[in-house]
Amino acid sequence: MEADNRGVTYLESRKLVKRWNGPWPAVVNTLMIFAIFYATWWVFQDPRGIMRMYTPYVGYMVCRWLLILFIWMAYIFDYWPFKRSWLNRTHPVVKGIVLTAVCVLAMEILIKGFFMGILGRYGIAYFNPDRLRAMGLTHFYAEEYATEAIMMFAAIASWLSPSWVVACENAPWQKLEQPTRGITIAVVTFFLGTIVYFVTMHSHMAILFYPWQKYTAITPPYWESFANTVSGNFHIAWIMSCTVVVWVYESIWERYPFNLIKTDWLRRTSAFFGIIAVAFCLCFFLFYAQDLSWGLHIRGTRREMAPDWRWLHVGESAIFWLVGVLFLSFFCGNYPTKYSRPVNVFLRTLISAVIGAAVYFLYYRYAHLFLGTQKGISHPQQFPMIPMIWLINLFLVNMWFMDGWPGWKAVPKTAEELEQVEETIVAHDVKWTPSLAKGLVVGATAGVAAYFAVIAVMPWIGQIQMIK
Amino acid sequence: MTDDITTSRRDFVKGAATGAIGGALAGMGFYSYSGSAYNRLPKVARAQQDFGAVRSVKVTNISETSWFNNAHLMEDIRTSGGLLVDQYTIGWGPFGNGKGPGKSSYEDGIAPIKKMIPNDLEAAWAVQKKSSLHPDNPGGYACLIEVEDLDGSKHKYLLDVGWSYDWMDQSFKREGIDQMLRSGEIEALFISHEHFDHFWGFPVAMKYNDHLPLYIHNGFYKEGKQYVKDSGYKGDPKVVDKEMTQVRPGMMLIKFDVPIICRVYGETSLAFNVKDKGLVLISGCNHQGILQMTSTAYSKLKYDNDRFYGIYGGLHISPFEDWDPKYDDLVISLGKWNFERVGCNHCTGHLTAKKFVEVGYPVVRGTARFRTTSPDYLGNGDTITF
Repeated sequence: MEADNRGVTYLESRKLVKRWNGPWPAVVNTLMIFAIFYATWWVFQDPRGIMRMYTPYVGYMVCRWLLILFIWMAYIFDYWPFKRSWLNRTHPVVKGIVLTAVCVLAMEILIKGFFMGILGRYGIAYFNPDRLRAMGLTHFYAEEYATEAIMMFAAIASWLSPSWVVACENAPWQKLEQPTRGITIAVVTFFLGTIVYFVTMHSHMAILFYPWQKYTAITPPYWESFANTVSGNFHIAWIMSCTVVVWVYESIWERYPFNLIKTDWLRRTSAFFGIIAVAFCLCFFLFYAQDLSWGLHIRGTRREMAPDWRWLHVGESAIFWLVGVLFLSFFCGNYPTKYSRPVNVFLRTLISAVIGAAVYFLYYRYAHLFLGTQKGISHPQQFPMIPMIWLINLFLVNMWFMDGWPGWKAVPKTAEELEQVEETIVAHDVKWTPSLAKGLVVGATAGVAAYFAVIAVMPWIGQIQMIK
Repeated sequence: MTDDITTSRRDFVKGAATGAIGGALAGMGFYSYSGSAYNRLPKVARAQQDFGAVRSVKVTNISETSWFNNAHLMEDIRTSGGLLVDQYTIGWGPFGNGKGPGKSSYEDGIAPIKKMIPNDLEAAWAVQKKSSLHPDNPGGYACLIEVEDLDGSKHKYLLDVGWSYDWMDQSFKREGIDQMLRSGEIEALFISHEHFDHFWGFPVAMKYNDHLPLYIHNGFYKEGKQYVKDSGYKGDPKVVDKEMTQVRPGMMLIKFDVPIICRVYGETSLAFNVKDKGLVLISGCNHQGILQMTSTAYSKLKYDNDRFYGIYGGLHISPFEDWDPKYDDLVISLGKWNFERVGCNHCTGHLTAKKFVEVGYPVVRGTARFRTTSPDYLGNGDTITF
């Protein structure tokens, strides 16, 4: 990796090679990440710990915005302003510390400077805790409301920012140099995020106040009858599903099947909207699965029977799957890789879903013993997304900023391997044949049957006592 | 030829793998949130347990003012680290240790007052006021429930014991609870849940009767169980571990296993079948949600006229005068359950009461006496009879 290769991003340019044979790299990295997770959790988030940011919304906002800054650093800005030569020669631990510190600093500037300082001071009062306090809110809820709003922005950005890179392939600015490309995509996705925020979350924020702020937001919100709640958690459900599906599409699906489309604009558009479509499928299924497991939701009640909580739990459940997806992709070499791409994709989907379900079960059974949280499914102020995103952030720091150290090291890809990158973007390994068509029909039938089999057993799964 | 077959088989498998994901997604997307999908959900099976009936239930609000300054309470929670921090560590009396927000412990707090409770509560609270956060802020929640049986006999119960020793002792004396406890008129004490404002005034009740029957949720933490002992309780607490516990004909204790803020687990609430009127639900805070309680009663219990007659208690909607859109879901949908009388206060929140009145729910107004700040709902010293 001597020279900057401006046509290929840093992540595309490197290959991570195991330092030891067998499962040891995965084992060592997993243990290290869990140790760092627990130490940093105690320092920053744990309600018994030092900084206790899990208030809950302050900690929720921080972990989500850190995720966005990591995505911006690695995907949107391709590590700018750091030079490729610095990335190649610097020890992974130093890189991890420096790049994380830069992201934290940028996050602070964004939250305090842009959201609270500019937007909250000169635009929309609820982004600024001081303004809310001046109008009579308690200090605690002034901070909670403002950080909730800022956190919602991050939820949207966590879908749109990577989607522009993964689905839209940075088009139409893919040929620009950094930082022009990064700034352009960040600004465009931020602009789109702002529009999505206003049509999804602004009404939620507006009805936090009495009376409903009907002159500045649509109240009651337009989704009320469809989602059976006025809460914006309905949007959290599909937006978080979008976030998860973007990474599923990028990692374990290797951009399949939209990468079979040869026409650039059609492939990019199909991928962008295809991700949304898949996310809605996931979203509706996860909501319905809860109704099957725990009984029909009851509007107006609290906890796990309430529709607003169930929509939120859709996003939470999707994040558990994302943990499985990223673990499989990062630490298990995107296992399996020996079959054809469609078969690999199919098997990885199953394996990651099983990992996600296991993490879900383990979290609800045991996490309260370690994280300073409360046992139970639906604590009104507990969000399993916080520890899960905190963990995912550490995955990303390890793999993106530290080249998988200590279990892996980065080596430059060969020309042949770089061609494989192109093959991921536009694939040629699946072609239309009568046999493929037959397979599609049989597979689709089996998929539908599998879906109905799953929903048939959901009531039984709901009887499993997770909480002891 | 063999190559053709192999290629054909490979293509078939590729197609099948892709189709399987596509088919599953199609089912998820097109069926899951459809009317057909919801038609297959089983209807709620109603057990309709017959638990008898009472002639009437009267509730006297001993205290609903759990704290007197919401900003001070929330500042203590904020500086301690938020809503998930263990209540015993926040630094409130009687468990303050003077080390600052979020740095207290049960052991530190109880040590200097252990020998003073329950007989010298004034001195114990004075000691605690020196080392606790906002020592004049605590109040408490407690109510007296008088049940009239069908034969006309009356039975008294205490639901919760509040927080501040000073305030609760004053409140008990104001309503004559001290005498009722002393004389044994009060037949049992129900602690709805372990929260500071419902439970930490426990020594005040012990001062007047240290052996009255006591019901606590089995989710109590070790500190809570120890506090029962340290407060001088001489009886054998009934640890509620079943969903339904019949107290007497027409009176049922219902247990809910729910995680609650400030590290508390579980709440118990009361249900009554009032003859010819219907079901009455009485709660301390109703952390499980009033409609969850209503729904449980609907599926499990049999009551007159098959109708919901009344509610009393904290409904835990906006206890800190905070808000969330999901609370509006309750405001919008409570009407469907057709309660005839809504006697709410405490953690229901004034804003909620105001919204209930705006949409026309039958909220019983109060008299705003004894430091209750608004007549929006039933205040300290007010009564309601179902």
